[in-house]
Amino acid sequence: MRTLRTLLALAGLGLTGFGLYGIATDHYIDLGHHPFDILRWAIGGLLIHDGLWVPLTCALGATVARSTPVRTGLILAAAVTAVALPAVLRAGVDHGNPTLLPLPYLRNWLLALAAITLLTAGWAALLHRRRRRR
Amino acid sequence: MNDDTSRRRPYDIPLPTPPDALRRGPLREGTFRSALHDPRTAVVLGRWLGAALLTCFLTGLFSHLLQQPPSWLANRLPSRPVSGYQITQGLHVISGIAAIPLLGAKLWVVYPKLFEWPPARSVGHALERLGIAVLVAAMLMELFTGLLNTLQWYVWPFPFRQTHFWVGWLATGGLLLHIAAKAPLIARHWRRVRPGLAQRRAFLGAVTASVAVVTLTTAGQTVPWLRHLDLFAPRRPDLGPQGLPVNRTAAQAGTTTAPADWRLRVDGPQPYELTMDQLLAMPQYEAELPIACVEGWSATARWAGVRVADLLARAGAPASARLRVTSLEADGPYRVMDMPATYARDPLTLLALRVNGQVLDPDHGYPARIIAPNRPGVLQTKWVARMEIL
Repeated sequence: MRTLRTLLALAGLGLTGFGLYGIATDHYIDLGHHPFDILRWAIGGLLIHDGLWVPLTCALGATVARSTPVRTGLILAAAVTAVALPAVLRAGVDHGNPTLLPLPYLRNWLLALAAITLLTAGWAALLHRRRRRR
Repeated sequence: MNDDTSRRRPYDIPLPTPPDALRRGPLREGTFRSALHDPRTAVVLGRWLGAALLTCFLTGLFSHLLQQPPSWLANRLPSRPVSGYQITQGLHVISGIAAIPLLGAKLWVVYPKLFEWPPARSVGHALERLGIAVLVAAMLMELFTGLLNTLQWYVWPFPFRQTHFWVGWLATGGLLLHIAAKAPLIARHWRRVRPGLAQRRAFLGAVTASVAVVTLTTAGQTVPWLRHLDLFAPRRPDLGPQGLPVNRTAAQAGTTTAPADWRLRVDGPQPYELTMDQLLAMPQYEAELPIACVEGWSATARWAGVRVADLLARAGAPASARLRVTSLEADGPYRVMDMPATYARDPLTLLALRVNGQVLDPDHGYPARIIAPNRPGVLQTKWVARMEIL
């Protein structure tokens, strides 16, 4: 176990070092400002995710989303939105290439959210009725 | 997660605990009450997320090698299996999209660790936490830039391809370091303990359903039988001129009309030029080949044209000849394409003149384009003007 862990850690250090070396030596990466841009975006991503997004989900989980159906519905909606939203926002911007983003993304997204809401409501109602019967 | 009290190593340097007066807000004990912020849930999600990240890394590495092979590898790249790149690059984007809900869930589960007290027990612990910051930042960046790249939406100030590639090394390196650091904890929670936690089952069920939904509604851009479920993918393989999507249109490349006196020029030991009529008089072959884009979509079509191997033989090229193909387009990073010998002599590699029974649309490369098995779409050069034996 110990040897394996050491090897794994060394491999991890090696890969990380190679990635940093690559950023520092790639011809397309302008050492004057690109590494700082990358660092800014990396830290920005961390701050937005850990400072805004996760606190929001924790707050929702502690208040609105206390039952399993509502939690499941919100998790599904968040996943679908994360994947679909860029296409929804970007629909129509195809640089003159109509085969890029050819679908009605806003409609599809709303349909998916509606389906999730319906399923969640149905599930919640079913649970409620079963609990009352007992 | 309270059972991560790894023993302090003799060579690690302990750090003092800051005064308790600083322990405010989320740093206080008991801020996070959900039973799901526990190692077992983290291990279950971590396994799937780790598998997705490794799949992305390996398929990404493969794609990079095909696009920019180092010289020692260039002539050893296999042109088979025909759909090799279609599968690996499809998997790259599918596992990247699947990783989005997995990463969200995993980071939510371990979020309280961000506020653990003391913030750093020792220098080793501080370094481990720094490593986790690198891992998380790299993963967020990879998923964000990767997803937006499939839409050709570039909102960042750095070059996409190179940054996505190198940050991938940081993410994978960070993952290996993280596994090494957490190995005892992971091992302890590897197996299910009965009775399971009902709450955990529900949470993992919701995450699994999320992964299934985002996969099924996007994978249709490369998996034919999922096409009708394609709701959110930036492409659909049957939408486009002649039933095929286009990555770069003729208008974008400035090749809407081919020059009236177009001729294919082949340079080699015996150079020659051919008009379209002369090309059509040569033996024509058909090949059913996918066009597989680095952005994760792929579509299979019936291509017809002249074998590249025949064109090379006519120029007196040896079987080991490499090929350089130049497009009519004025600029663009893929205007000139080098083809290793393994592809150039493959009988399926065509200089295609027709697709799905019709003369090529300008968007598909009229007058002639390259189509080869197991190659990234950007190397299937369109609007071919010149072929040069190297």
